[in-house]
Amino acid sequence: MFLEIDQLTMQFGGLVAVNNVSISIKKGEIHGLIGPNGSGKTTIFNVLSGYYKPTGGKVSFEGRTISGLPAHQITAAGFARTFQNMRLFKTMTVLENLLVAMGHHAKVGLLQEILNPVAVHREEEKFVEKAMDLLDLLEVADFANELATSLPYGNQRRVEMARALATDPKVILLDEPAAGLNEVETEDLRKTLMKIRDLGVTIFLVEHDMKLVMEICEEISVLDYGKKIAEGTGAVISKDPVVIEAYLGQEEDK
Amino acid sequence: MKKKSSILKWILIGAVACLLLAFPAFAKSSYQVHIVNNIGIWLLLSLGLNIAMGYGGQFNLALGALWGVGAYTAALLQTRLGVPFWINLPLGIIAAATMAALVGLPSFKVRSHYLAIVTIGLGEVINLFLVNQDELTGGALGINRIKPPSLFGFPIDTNERFYYLILIMVILGYLIGRQIVGHRIGRAFRALRDDFQAARAMGVNTGFYQILAFAISGAYAGAAGVLFAHWNSYISPDIFEFKSALIVLTMIMIGGMGSLPGSVVGTVLLLVLNEYLRVFERWQLVGYGVAIIVVVLFLPGGVVELVRRFGSLRQRWSAGLTKEKSNVEEERNVP
Repeated sequence: MFLEIDQLTMQFGGLVAVNNVSISIKKGEIHGLIGPNGSGKTTIFNVLSGYYKPTGGKVSFEGRTISGLPAHQITAAGFARTFQNMRLFKTMTVLENLLVAMGHHAKVGLLQEILNPVAVHREEEKFVEKAMDLLDLLEVADFANELATSLPYGNQRRVEMARALATDPKVILLDEPAAGLNEVETEDLRKTLMKIRDLGVTIFLVEHDMKLVMEICEEISVLDYGKKIAEGTGAVISKDPVVIEAYLGQEEDK
Repeated sequence: MKKKSSILKWILIGAVACLLLAFPAFAKSSYQVHIVNNIGIWLLLSLGLNIAMGYGGQFNLALGALWGVGAYTAALLQTRLGVPFWINLPLGIIAAATMAALVGLPSFKVRSHYLAIVTIGLGEVINLFLVNQDELTGGALGINRIKPPSLFGFPIDTNERFYYLILIMVILGYLIGRQIVGHRIGRAFRALRDDFQAARAMGVNTGFYQILAFAISGAYAGAAGVLFAHWNSYISPDIFEFKSALIVLTMIMIGGMGSLPGSVVGTVLLLVLNEYLRVFERWQLVGYGVAIIVVVLFLPGGVVELVRRFGSLRQRWSAGLTKEKSNVEEERNVP
């Protein structure tokens, strides 16, 4: 299996945020993770990206256990992410934000970095070229030299995705990319996600916008109170009574 | 237009270079050269701290003690074993950088102000070691008769000769600093300062870069220490303490955090003013305190921020002019 979340449990003191969750994700698919607020979606992402060490279970990626590794090694293994409340580097330009993410590909050693300006310059040019390609793809190349946090909200989201792609990931974890976007912007986002998938990057998506999730996700996992309550295609999920109950309460309440 | 400004820039750099090279010739006294040498040594300290703190957000307030590590390494090796300056220089840098990396270890657990307090404590521990291990370090009396460097038998033993050595070291330090902050290392530093969690997720090995930031500031302090020991020929523990780190901190805050020119401006400003304000003695520290408060409140980017603001104002002004001009042209085109 490409990415296997195996009986993952994440406990904070007495609170079980994620309880024995197993999800497997195929290479190249768009996998949605949905559930009411506080159901543990972001916690799963935080485990996947190495912020938390799981208290139970494990995550394996391409046959190798990655849970418990430090965050930068997980990134090197091919994981990238965006954040629910966007975390662009606030003193940097759009381009610099992407260059940070490319740093771990650098072939020039640290000492050379200080003492061999020519080699550094050559490598930097290559990075800038690649970064500009990504910005082009996400249609934010015009703002390359502007302060990232000075852009309008929708464009900041794109920059954040471009930055995640700049780490050259195999899997990208997107934490509520449609939050705060209007309908037109959400439609743009849908196109952007298709472009990302066409790059061959597997997408693992946490999202509250059900229309978007149903449209693009090939497979959806549903969480409630830290437990996985359902899994399947959009059509299956949307008819599942357990899911409907988790979201809307009893049917009569509707 | 752009070409013209770059020519202007090179002319400016050339003029400054000539001024710096000729300085000992037109200095009014050897004492003036002495002051400038002193500025050079503090410049190395403030460049180092600015890289670690201004860029990397790593509060290294053990800097005064690390400066001492460089100085004592050189002084001991020279007076006990007769090791020459040129070998002491790399050894002092390595010793201080290693000690700095150790001082930086708590950065895994504590951040920002708490880290500042921990490093102040560790710096004082090093200082106390220098004071109390008198068999090794000469205690409070310090070490004297440290021999000046010599280059192929030519002794660098006057302020004027030392001036050029320090000048070369400062220029090297500045260029290396630019190389550090302008590329991958500098971006990683800024990333972990701006947003630690995001930096981790972008593949930045934050622990490594935190320690690297400390080590770099230590390396600069070590170089400053070796130079200081061989230049002064006498060292004692009393300046290798927290107060010195505080002075360097004041320099970079006034000049500009996260800006190498800021380090230069702040250091020169503070030490030159220091000469004029010598009459006020103890009030100097009060002056530093007031200066920091004023800068933090009204000019968070330091003096270089002022220059930048002025620059963008001018740019906007000239942009405004061309805009008006094009408006006029448009009006003319209207039939």
